[in-house]
Amino acid sequence: MTDPDARPQSGSGLGPATGPETSPETGPARGGGPAYPLSWRLLDAIEGLAALWPARASGAVKWALLAPALALVALLLWGLGVMADASLREMDFRTYRLSEDWSLANYARALGSGAFWATARRSLLAAAVVTIICLALAFPYAYAMTRTRSARLRKLLLVGLFLPFFIGQVVRAYGWLIVLGQEGLANEALGALGLGPWRMLFQYPTVLFGLVQYMLPFAVLMLAPALAAIPEEVERAAESCGASWPRALLHVVIPMALPGLIAAALVVATLTLTDFATPAILGGGTNDFLANLVYDQFFRTSDAGLGSAITLLLTLAGTTVAGVLLAAAGVAALGVRGAR
Amino acid sequence: MKPTSAAPSVAPAVEAEGVSRRYGDVAALAEASFRLEAGRFLTVLGPSGSGKSTLLRLIAGFEAPDAGRLRLYGRPVEAIPPHRRSVGMVFQRLALFPHMTAAENVAFPLRMRRWDARDIPARVARFLSLVRLDGLGARRPHELSGGQQQRVAIARALVFEPELLLLDEPLAALDAKLREEMQLEFRRIQRELGVTTINVTHDQREALVMSDRVIVMDQGRILQDADPETLWREPAHAFVAGFLGVGAFLDGVAAEGPALAIAGATLPGRAPAGRAAPAPGARARGSLRADRVRLAGAGATPAGCHAAAPALVEDAIFEGDRILYELRLPTMGGARLRAIDRDPGAHARHAPGAAVTAGWARDDMILFDAD
Repeated sequence: MTDPDARPQSGSGLGPATGPETSPETGPARGGGPAYPLSWRLLDAIEGLAALWPARASGAVKWALLAPALALVALLLWGLGVMADASLREMDFRTYRLSEDWSLANYARALGSGAFWATARRSLLAAAVVTIICLALAFPYAYAMTRTRSARLRKLLLVGLFLPFFIGQVVRAYGWLIVLGQEGLANEALGALGLGPWRMLFQYPTVLFGLVQYMLPFAVLMLAPALAAIPEEVERAAESCGASWPRALLHVVIPMALPGLIAAALVVATLTLTDFATPAILGGGTNDFLANLVYDQFFRTSDAGLGSAITLLLTLAGTTVAGVLLAAAGVAALGVRGAR
Repeated sequence: MKPTSAAPSVAPAVEAEGVSRRYGDVAALAEASFRLEAGRFLTVLGPSGSGKSTLLRLIAGFEAPDAGRLRLYGRPVEAIPPHRRSVGMVFQRLALFPHMTAAENVAFPLRMRRWDARDIPARVARFLSLVRLDGLGARRPHELSGGQQQRVAIARALVFEPELLLLDEPLAALDAKLREEMQLEFRRIQRELGVTTINVTHDQREALVMSDRVIVMDQGRILQDADPETLWREPAHAFVAGFLGVGAFLDGVAAEGPALAIAGATLPGRAPAGRAAPAPGARARGSLRADRVRLAGAGATPAGCHAAAPALVEDAIFEGDRILYELRLPTMGGARLRAIDRDPGAHARHAPGAAVTAGWARDDMILFDAD
């Protein structure tokens, strides 16, 4: 079946026609076949560069390669340390200087304020709801993309997946302002049907909607490789065992895709929990998340101490969410290790 | 819903009538028709792309035929989805569920078929024991060897007592030793349970060793349907003759006798069983199995031969229990022939370059139409 592909294509019938006289130099190479493709030359050139590499890599070289990554992590930890230090110092609003001595006053203020808890609850709920909706929507999308026999549909789904990445989050949120506003496209359409106008902007569900729309491609991107790694034969096997397609999905495909689901959940949940732009624009200040609260402390009330304390509390919340999901992934990953 | 066990009935276990399946312009399966009686072991043998796997997928229900009728135990199954057919299948790459233990894999079909939960553990244990995996039920597939994984796959396919067992080249990936062991193992289990089985393979040895019956396919068509011995002795097509065993073809023109005329020589042969010899004057090819070609020194005629020709030894390949000679016949336009010496210790070995005489009995050369 692969025969036609296996034969090198000879351009303009030159190959076969020269048959008997074909000398080694003018053989298939000049006959239009792949003589020595550019990609091979490119790889050879890269190998040439690799000759500069010391024959025996000492331990120092390995650490040098790791250095950029380590520097990045160190920088992050350093910043976190600065934040932790600031969070323990109270802002003096007469001098706009942080106090000399440490206290837990900022944490006490944050944890004692109803606004903080309302915002935290809003952020965490959003993380949970957006994650669940995104996984529910991303799974069929990724499944269709990896399983479809139609190359055209796969391309369409891929374009649909990557197109949103070309449009920034802020631009997209502004786009939704235009669509969902009081005089927006959505209300215009509803008006044509004799409905509305409905107040859609600056509502919590609208913020969640905007977040789902933003996070969905991330979820698909994390899920697709996990689903592609599950052989179709395994699904057929489940069917031959007597499982209808939904039951095969539930008992075989989803458990096998668990590491991908966990990874997608991790990305969507942490990005949502710490999101700033979507609640700021689509919430219009009425539906702030913790990141908006942090922003307000730093740039509105100039309370670096309280802002740092909330930042650390947000980091703690995000770490906890990630920790819980990773603990679940650890168990799942063990079960799937060794699978092909 | 407990599946009905293969009840004795007049209807054959599998009945295909003109079953066809196309992929675009390619006829993967062209009007395949056959019947398989309950309890038999059938092998569908063919090269890759011959349509044998398509046939299996149609019987399993993963695909629907474009034309033709397919019945299992007399019931038309075209409209029945795979999970409602009582068909167990062992897949090429086994397709075990990696997140389940061996026992959970075997229990899966019973759970999906809603067996009573109280019956499942005992039944799983019985089938793990049947495939000789006692005590390994708690292992996950990746903790088992290749042969043990095979056994889990067999147990999973059989545990719900399917009416039909399908094997989709499950042994192809195994090394030779293990493959031979598993061939006999499949045969033992099949006999023990009496389950009707269709095995698909490109391995002629496997087909001969395991089957009651063999169907040979090429390019979507069934070429021959016979028991292993008939298939071996009486190939009905040149393709079958070439696919089974080691041998060679001599191309020439059919002559009266019947015989094959090449470069002035007339070599006696015979017609394929149940078919006429090629019409005299038509292009024809004579099939000669290597194990039927006998060799003697130059000028001599091997004993018991009706035809002989001078030959040059091009290569002598030592294969342990036999020597395979690659021969060229200079008086037959350089046609090639192969001969096997099954008793290398007893004869002097012909060295490459040596001139010998190759001979064969009339019945050993089967004459086919050159198509």
